[in-house]
This record gives sequence, structure tokens and C-alpha cells, in this order.
Amino acid sequence: MNIALETTQLTKIFGGLTAVNRVDLVVPENTIVSVIGPNGAGKTTFFNCITGFYRPNIGDIRFFGKTLVGLAPDQVTYQGISRTYQNIRLFSNMSAVENIMVGQHPRMKTIWFESIPRTSRQRKEEAHALEEALRLLRFVGLAGLGDHLARNLPYGAQRRLEIARALASQPKLLLLDEPTAGMNPNETGEMMRFIQHLRDELGITILLIEHDMRVVMGISEQVSVLDYGTKIAEGTPLEIQKNPRVIEAYLGRGAASGLDKTPPGVTAP
Amino acid sequence: MINEHLRNGLRAGAIFAIATIFLILIAFNVTAAQLLGKLLGNQSASSIFDLTPDMFNMLVFFGLVGFWAGGLGAKRTASDTWKLVFLAGVSTGLVFGALVAVFAYLVGMLNVAGIQMTAYLPLMLPASINQLLMGKSPAAGSLILLVVIFATGVLGALTARGFGRGAWRQSFSTWWGQRKGTLSQIPTVQRVQGNALTRYFFYGILLLLVFLLPLWIGQYWNYTLGTVGIYVLLGLGLNIVVGLAGLLDLGYVAFFAIGAYTVALLTAPTPHNLLWNFWIVLPIGIVLAATAGVLLGIPVLRMRGDYLAIVTLGFGEIIRILSKSDLLTNFSGGPKGVPNVGGPSLFGISFNDIGFVYLIMVAVLLIIFVTNRLQDSRVGRAWVAMREDETVAQAMGINTLRHKLLAFGIGAAFAGLGGAIFASRNQFTGPEDFNLMVSINVLCVVIVGGMGSIPGVIAGAFALKGLPEVLRELENYRVMFFGALLVVMMVLRPEGLIPSKRRRLEMREIAEEEGAEEVVKQARVGPPATASPPLNPGNIANISTSDEGGS
Repeated sequence: MNIALETTQLTKIFGGLTAVNRVDLVVPENTIVSVIGPNGAGKTTFFNCITGFYRPNIGDIRFFGKTLVGLAPDQVTYQGISRTYQNIRLFSNMSAVENIMVGQHPRMKTIWFESIPRTSRQRKEEAHALEEALRLLRFVGLAGLGDHLARNLPYGAQRRLEIARALASQPKLLLLDEPTAGMNPNETGEMMRFIQHLRDELGITILLIEHDMRVVMGISEQVSVLDYGTKIAEGTPLEIQKNPRVIEAYLGRGAASGLDKTPPGVTAP
Repeated sequence: MINEHLRNGLRAGAIFAIATIFLILIAFNVTAAQLLGKLLGNQSASSIFDLTPDMFNMLVFFGLVGFWAGGLGAKRTASDTWKLVFLAGVSTGLVFGALVAVFAYLVGMLNVAGIQMTAYLPLMLPASINQLLMGKSPAAGSLILLVVIFATGVLGALTARGFGRGAWRQSFSTWWGQRKGTLSQIPTVQRVQGNALTRYFFYGILLLLVFLLPLWIGQYWNYTLGTVGIYVLLGLGLNIVVGLAGLLDLGYVAFFAIGAYTVALLTAPTPHNLLWNFWIVLPIGIVLAATAGVLLGIPVLRMRGDYLAIVTLGFGEIIRILSKSDLLTNFSGGPKGVPNVGGPSLFGISFNDIGFVYLIMVAVLLIIFVTNRLQDSRVGRAWVAMREDETVAQAMGINTLRHKLLAFGIGAAFAGLGGAIFASRNQFTGPEDFNLMVSINVLCVVIVGGMGSIPGVIAGAFALKGLPEVLRELENYRVMFFGALLVVMMVLRPEGLIPSKRRRLEMREIAEEEGAEEVVKQARVGPPATASPPLNPGNIANISTSDEGGS
């Protein structure tokens, strides 16, 4: 199996704070990998290092063997990595369709000058992009809402639209930052199935930050736990549930020693 | 209940009194009376009710203001009784009238005592005080003012009640809505309404009218129209930078100046005596402006928001001060500017005022076309995405620096075009044409018109550059009124005169497919918030088939 993403000794320091500390992570191709950890554990910083927003102080990030360190965020996207955000960040004054079309930016090739005379290549590409955007819109279940401004969409629809936008660049690796935040159990279940389908049918590798243990334990093949920027555990969901260091990180030392079974909230699916 | 009405009336009265006293202090009542005189056509009357026309018209002015104050003072719900509204009107009129009367009395007494107020308030001439009191004693004059304002205030309040405050407006719009409904059921009307040809036909007529206009309106209005057109050019350019790409540029005038100076220096007899042809110089000016835009952008565009605004502001000033400095007198004419800038000619005929208006119109149409094409394309979407959220735009694969430079360059090119025409039309260019106010004005055009909206920019240019000419009748008060209008406008319509609309993409596409009207209807009826449709993995196959070797 190919390795999609590999970080070695990845470290990011802000002033005196080491947000990410020597993290080694391997994401095999075509798997769903979760990164969990208490608030402030450095999960989002870790994502930001991968996507090029932060340049790591030490360490390397390799994507299908090519290093990503030093690339700007847009170049990282060109390599085939796409992401969503913890607090939804759509282009709120653009319509849903346009949001997805912006997502297709790296796949389009016309230069600005071609759009003034509307060359046939440009028209073809625009038509294709629109068609593709509508297809993605249907794919995430938002058919008919495409002309609404993104900010006018209901919360759940905004989450889906953000995923559609991320898919529009046809990524090989999708980074999802808490995709089920703020969803009810029904919606969460739907999202889980959806993420699995993305992997199964489109063959997209998925790296996930998630707080909802049901999601983490339900769909991921591998879980890594960060605490204070350091990876403290890694393994299958079952292994992680039993790991005393993880329980300690989440619930404190007392809870870890007092409990011999799984802590509340960390239940098998 | 009564308290509320009283308070509302008192407040309206006080506010109007303060505003009116201010207007009297700057002697606006005199100008207003003259304007009303022109409007009513009674200026030549020997006397009206024992008053000179100017005095009478001034009373009419105060009456109108009192009427307005009364209407606002009584503005409450439609269910108010006559008594309450009357009470509100009385309180408004009394406060308003009394304050103005007291002021007039004081001023009058000072005048009688021979104290010259012009030392402190240059416009409070004895003559205007005399007019304020209608040539009568301070007591009698201020009493008349009190009575007029009080009466009109009460009248205004009662009128407001009579109209039910918006009730008639509502009934009118229902009536109109029904009318429109029945109209559009007639098949012929339906066909005409839905037909694209009809739309083009109306646009055609409009365009024809606009093109015939310069032949009729005379030199002065042609000049004004030309100025408006140049501001449309500048506005459309800045619209790309600020409205679409979201980069606040306060030094936009620099590119305007570069366009103007290029044309001036290459076509004028002094200081270089090059006398090149305008049509050759025009593209050079545009290219130079665009180049300057890109070159300025390279170091500057890494900054965001306010920092960018300050740096561009500095750049604009640098260009102006450079053009003014003695250092460059031999090169660019220094503070005296460049006179006798060459004009364009076509088939051996040089352009007169009408020709320039047409030239500007053609330029505007061209720029509208280009802007329109650009904003509905990959690069246009990238700009708007950057404006909305630069960080995310970059994460979507948009090279933000390159797109910012592009926006800066294209915006600068439009300004260069505007500047070139400007210098050539005025046959002169100098440093003072390019002060900071130009940048501010163009920014105002974009904001007042509506950010990112082409019709908005045009409307904004007419409002900001055309309206002051129309307001010229107000003479010295022009700028004040203009400022007040701007404030009111931004409070009432912060999104601009004609805000930009996002194109409808999905519905158009679906409607083009067969039998899609049902889908459209369903989508419109179906409430998005209640039942969000399930995520639909069944379509995955479609996605992968459309894949062009991406994964």
C-alpha cells in the first residue's frame, strides 16, 4: 500500500509554545485516519502545517513521496490536498455554485485574457465547470440550492457545501476539520456514511480531526492522539480506547487509575 | 401613551430647531428663499401679503420645514387617535417655533443694538437678519416665525395621521401588484415580458438616446457628462481593485496621473515638443499605468487591509508631489503643469466637446464590456473569493499575489485610459488635477454606487459627479448638501445605490434542460431549512465519470 502522507518529526513553535512537537504520522493511501486530542492539543496547527499555512520549524511532510515543506497553500492544493474548516469558512457572499466553481480553480486552465473575447476553450471550460459544480451540488444533496448565497444556507447545508468545494479540486487527500461539529446524531450518522463513501467510491484518502468519539471510533482505520502537541498514542480505534495514556489525557490522572474499563463517551460503536 | 407622543414631538421639534438655527446661521434661509422664488416664479411680484417675495418665500421654506417636522413628530403607529397626533404636532410645532423665534429675537435685538455679528459669523449680515425678521421689529418678526412654524407643524402632524402613515402606500402597492398580476396573464404581454428581444430592444432605445444626448444638451452639460464618464472609467477600474478583489487602494489617482502625464508630455509642444499622435499615445499611457500598477503592487500587495490603504495613499501623494517638484520642472512642467495637450482627431477632424463625449462613451462601453467578461470568469471568481476570505481563497489553489497584481494592473490600466482622455480633453494637465480628493471621490463612487456592481458604479458616478452640477443652484451650500446626502444615503442604503447581484447559475442551467421547470418550482417551494435532502452517495458514479484523470 502506498503512503499518501507522511510527517516526520514535525514541529511548530510559536514563541515559547510548542504547538506541534515531533509528530510522526503515516497516512496510508485509501484509509481514513483520525487525529484526536483535547482542546488546544495542536490538531488544527498540525493541519495548517500540512496545508502550507505554517512552515514547520523542524521536520518534513511528504505527500506521495514529494515534500510539501516550503510550498505555499495554493501550491499544496495543486499537489492534490484539499481541506475544510472547523468553523465553516465559505465565501459567504457568493452563491453555492460559485463557491464550488472557485474550488475548481486549480483544475481550470484558461488565463484571464481569454475571458475577454470568450474563446471557445474558455467557454467550454466554463460550461464544464458549471456542469461539474451542479453535479457536486447534487452529490452532497444540495440540488436546487445552488443560487442561494452561501451565508443564507442553513448550517448543515453549509457544512456540505464546504465539502463539495473541497472535492471540486479533485483531491487525493481530504483534510476534514471536525466535519460533524454542531450536528445532531442523525446528521452525524449521515456524515459518517458520506465520508466512508468518499473513500470507498472516489478513493480519496481522508485525514480527520474529530471530537465526536462515535465518529472517530466508527469510521477510522487508524487513530492518532495528540496532547500538548505530542503524539501520545496511535493505533486502531479499539487499541486507543484501552490506552491508559489517552484516558489520562482526556479525563485526568485520577480517572485513568480509577477506571479499569472504557471511560464514558469512549464507547465501542 | 401620552408621554410617548409628547416625547416624540418634543424631540422632533428640538432636532429641527437646532438644524434650522444652524441653517440660519449660515444664511441658508436667504438662498432657500431665492431658490423657492425661482421655483414658484413669484420673484418679480411687488409684494405678497405685505411682504417682499424673498421674505414670503423664506416663510414658505420655514413652513415646509415645519410641516416636515410635524409629520415626523407624529410618526407613530397607525392606530393613534387624532387627539394624540394633535398633541404630538402641537409639541413639535411649539418647541420648533419657540426655539427659532427666541433665536430670531436675540439676533434681532443684537442687530438693533448695532452689534456687528459678521465679525464672528460672516454670513449674519444685517440685511439677512432683516430678512429673517421680515423687516419688522424683533418681537413682531419672531412672533410671525413662531406662528408659521407652529401652524405648519400641527398641520404636518395631522396630515401624517390622515395618510395613516404608510397605509396608503401599502394599498397602492397591493393595487399595483394586482394590476401587474392581471397584466402578465395576457398572453401577448407574457410573450413580450419573457422575450430576450424585448430587453435588447429597450436597451437599444436607451443606448440610442444616450448617443443622441450630446447633440442636444450644449457645451456645459457635455463637459459635465464627460466628467461623469471619466469617473465611470475610474470607478470601474477601482471597482475591480476594491469591489471585486477587496484591496483598499487610496492612491488610485496615481495611475490616473500617469495616464494623463503620458499623453500630455508626448503630445504637447512644451516641455518636450514631441507632438505625437493621440491615438498612438493613448495605448502607451494605458500600458504605462498598468505597468506602474503591477510594479507598485509587487512590494505592497503582501500587506492587507488598512496597511495597504496607507501605503497606496503614500504612493498617490508621491506621484503628485513629484510632478509638482522643481526637480522635474524640465521634464514634466513642474507646478505649472503642461499646457496645450494634443487632442485626438479622426479623418482629419479634431474632436470638439461632442466628439470627446463620444470618445468617453466608447471608452466606457469598452470598459464595461471588459469588466463584465472578467467578472464572470475564473479570474473574476478568484477575485471575489479573495475579497471574501483571502486565506481560504489561497487554500483553494488561488495564487493570491498574482491575482492581486492582475487586479491592480487592470484597475490601473482603466485609470490610465481615463487620465489620457482627461488630459487631452482639458488640453492641460497639472499636479493639482491629481490630489487626494480624486482618489477619495472615486472610492466614494464605488461605495455609493455599490461595491462590485457595474450599474452601481455608473449610478454612483452620476450621483457624485453629476448631482453637484445639478445642485449648483445651491451655490455655497452645495458641498454641505452633498455631504448630507451622502450621509443619508449611506445610512439608508449602506449596500450602495445598485448593489451587486450574484448571477443565477443553477436555475438557468436547469431551465435549459428539458422539463426542468418542475425542478425549479420544487426547489423554490421546498424550504431549505426544514428538511435538508440526504447526502446522496448514489451520484458518486457521476462524479468519477466526469473525472479527467485527476485521481
